[in-house]
Amino acid sequence: METSLRYEYTVETEDLAKNYVMGPVTVKALDGVSVKIRRGEYLSTMGPSGSGKTTFFNMIGGLDRPTRGKVYIDEVDIAKLDAYELAWLRARKIGYIFQTFNLIPVLTAVENVSLPMIFAGVGREERLERATQLLERVGLGERLDHKPAELSGGQQQRVAIARALANNPVIVLADEPTGNLDLHTGLDIITLLKTLNAEKGVTIITATHDLKMIDVSDRIFWIRDGRLERIETRKEVSVRPVGRE
Amino acid sequence: MSRGGLGRSRTMKTEKRTIIFPIGEAISFSIESIRRRFTRAIITIVSIILGIAFLSALLTMSRIVVAIGGEAGTEAVPSYELWIAVIALLVCGVGIVNSMLMSVTERYKEIGTIKTLGAEDIHILELFLIEGGIMGIVGGTIGGVLGWGVAYVTYVFQQQSAEVSSRIVQALFESVPLIGYSMILSVVLSLLSSMVPAYMAAKLNPVEALRYEV
Repeated sequence: METSLRYEYTVETEDLAKNYVMGPVTVKALDGVSVKIRRGEYLSTMGPSGSGKTTFFNMIGGLDRPTRGKVYIDEVDIAKLDAYELAWLRARKIGYIFQTFNLIPVLTAVENVSLPMIFAGVGREERLERATQLLERVGLGERLDHKPAELSGGQQQRVAIARALANNPVIVLADEPTGNLDLHTGLDIITLLKTLNAEKGVTIITATHDLKMIDVSDRIFWIRDGRLERIETRKEVSVRPVGRE
Repeated sequence: MSRGGLGRSRTMKTEKRTIIFPIGEAISFSIESIRRRFTRAIITIVSIILGIAFLSALLTMSRIVVAIGGEAGTEAVPSYELWIAVIALLVCGVGIVNSMLMSVTERYKEIGTIKTLGAEDIHILELFLIEGGIMGIVGGTIGGVLGWGVAYVTYVFQQQSAEVSSRIVQALFESVPLIGYSMILSVVLSLLSSMVPAYMAAKLNPVEALRYEV
């Protein structure tokens, strides 16, 4: 955590591009995106399906290698990291939240939250203590020993949020975090993310279709056809009729 | 803004490279995974039991035959029977490969998720090898004892003179270590068979694994 405070930008991309070759066709999923994302920012990436949001996500999350361009996380060029360092980066610097929650079905809530701490080398006692605290923080103090199948969608996403925060990451990447939730539960999750963003100063980057997300976002990246169409602040968006792209 | 290139990226390498999935956690994770797919695990284990029991019974009986001085000129274990045992073991090896491959395919998403949480390839490998190893231990123990028991039942209840009986019991007693050997063989077989599926799981690309729908 402390080290990241030195950097103004948590994530930077330079001319980021990703092509997928599908037989004779080359699909440009991402075509030259350059952005700078400040520490502690709450940022939403919006755009139609297939616009490259998820690809953008996978790139800045260190899950996939770009065809062209660079990604810097805390000024480290992640293309230069080896497999071990990438795993280290994923464990400590980045927390992931998925549309489908992706909790491990065989583990209880508290074990799910502890899992990333295992990979960060945290001792057992501390793991359990921190996992319990985090689950209490997201309002699931009563459900520590429940397995994902025994939790509702909203509760599962809360566990996923607690898991994403397990190693005090500098970035939380949330890919359609409200996509599988009803309106009300989705709003709860958005509020929770915003609160944690303010509380812990963690940079939150979401990819979403959910317009409710605009209300809490500091900036919105509009992505279309693999390109960054425009960047708007919350104020700029709210003067326009919401929903028009 | 100037960037340190290599120098910068090296600043990340602050920890020593010894993060190991604690073995206790890994084992309980694997046991839970087996429990979740219990029926299939049972089928796999039964196939291991049968293969190992066959081998164990065969070896034990051969000891007994030798002990009671069998007919001169006959092999203690006919070589064709040994071949059948080897084939039975191969079949159960293939069964383990199949079962583990299914387990890997079913858990693409889980593997992808664990990788995004910072798991290294070796951690995934560990999980699947432990899973295979557990099935090997369980199958090998039951199979080894069962095969020995079959030999016991076959010979002990035959009507024999007191002297022959005592020799049979002696041979049975001496065959007890065979149960151990069968177990070891079973574990080795299971680990070998799990190797390929576990390696495949470990090498999965997290993005593809996450996108995969069962």
